[in-house]
Amino acid sequence: MSFGEERIFAVGEINALVREMLEGEFGFVAIAGEVSNLRIPASGHLYFKLKDASAQIAAVCFRADARRLDFDLEDGAQVVARGNLTLYDAQGSYQLVARTLEPAGRGDLERALRLLIARLKEEGLFDPARKRPLPLYPKRLAVVTSPTGAAIRDILSTVKRRFPCVEVLIVPVQVQGEAAPAQIVAALDAITALGNVDVVILGRGGGSIEDLAAFNDEAVVRAIHRCGAPVISAVGHESDVTVADFVADVRAATPTMAAEIAVPERDEVRARIAGLERAAGLTLTRRVDAARRRADALTRSYALGQVRGRIEHSMQRLDHASHRCARAAAMTLMHGRAQAGALDARLSGLDPREVLRRGYAVVLDAAGTNALSSAGDAIRAGEVQLLFHDGAAQANVTGEARLRAPTLEASS
Amino acid sequence: MSETTLTFEAAMSRLEKIVAELESGKLSLEDSLKKFEEGITLGKTCREFLDRADVRIRTLTVEGGAQVAEGNAETDADGE
Repeated sequence: MSFGEERIFAVGEINALVREMLEGEFGFVAIAGEVSNLRIPASGHLYFKLKDASAQIAAVCFRADARRLDFDLEDGAQVVARGNLTLYDAQGSYQLVARTLEPAGRGDLERALRLLIARLKEEGLFDPARKRPLPLYPKRLAVVTSPTGAAIRDILSTVKRRFPCVEVLIVPVQVQGEAAPAQIVAALDAITALGNVDVVILGRGGGSIEDLAAFNDEAVVRAIHRCGAPVISAVGHESDVTVADFVADVRAATPTMAAEIAVPERDEVRARIAGLERAAGLTLTRRVDAARRRADALTRSYALGQVRGRIEHSMQRLDHASHRCARAAAMTLMHGRAQAGALDARLSGLDPREVLRRGYAVVLDAAGTNALSSAGDAIRAGEVQLLFHDGAAQANVTGEARLRAPTLEASS
Repeated sequence: MSETTLTFEAAMSRLEKIVAELESGKLSLEDSLKKFEEGITLGKTCREFLDRADVRIRTLTVEGGAQVAEGNAETDADGE
């Protein structure tokens, strides 16, 4: 019985008050339950019920959040949903607006993973000091991955493009599922037993934390640690990190990047060789010139009489040396010409810089694309660029100089 | 000289060492010439190695003991 003023609410009004209580009282909640009555209309929002043995609650996951799910939601799935409780005015029912959904047990998985990482770190398995350097030019590369996945295709096509003079040993394994850890361990141990593998790529495409479980398996982590060859891990995409990544000698974000790390670029290696040959040629030319100047000076010297025989002999040797040098330099030049112009541009970034640093300059045509190797070329060109170790300068060639050959200070 | 038995990596580091020695200026002229010629030979060997065009692909099947199966892998057969 009520004798006082009875308060009568409008429906919308009471709903609004209940909504306020719901939203204020509970805030952000995590609810574990089984998914049922899942509906996904064209809007892309997910509508479902969360239930346990005797109760259920309506839930919605809006499209923007649903897009971030990394597993397939289906009826019967045990999940933990996190979000806010709210009231659905149109029906006067309350529901969970789920912001995130994850398979039940994932929290335990993550906790176990954190413990494993802490324990292995304590043991020194991730110590940067024990990471092995990768070979510059591997002869044999082993790839431990699924024979049918995208990872192996990416790795093979990258190796073919960059450095096809390498042998690839594919070790097919399952990368997910119960058999995966044991297979990966056996593969790595077999590679160690072979003893002739220079570098290993262990990889697979991206996936959920459940898909990547094998790469968080302690036995796999230890097998990577004891592997006879340095291991590059290439698990998933950039955002996926596994324990295998911590213990591997190098972590690559993707299988393609792993292949790029494992082998050099063939054209860069060619440019390096050409640069070394050029440096050798320049040094030798300088050496011979210096020796000739010294011999010339001796020839004119006061003590000529006593040493004439020795000098004539060394002049002869020098002529012989010059001849060999010229021939070898011509060979180097021929190789150089055979390489593309692009290669020459790259070269300027490699060893010749060392030569330039010692006071040499390279004469290029006005466009800076071709080296001019003779005085005649430079005179004909008129406008030239001079390439020093720290940059280029523009210059005009006004004519032929008197001096026939460069004079260099004898440096030794 | 036994360049044929050198690995590519060894040949490259030998070539680098030779150039460093030449640049040190400590070698006699005779030795410089000898090293230079060895360097040119090494460079040629390395270039020839790089010109080999095809990746050799083999498959290692692991079941109990390790076995190496010769030949191209299936992934290579689908015309990449």
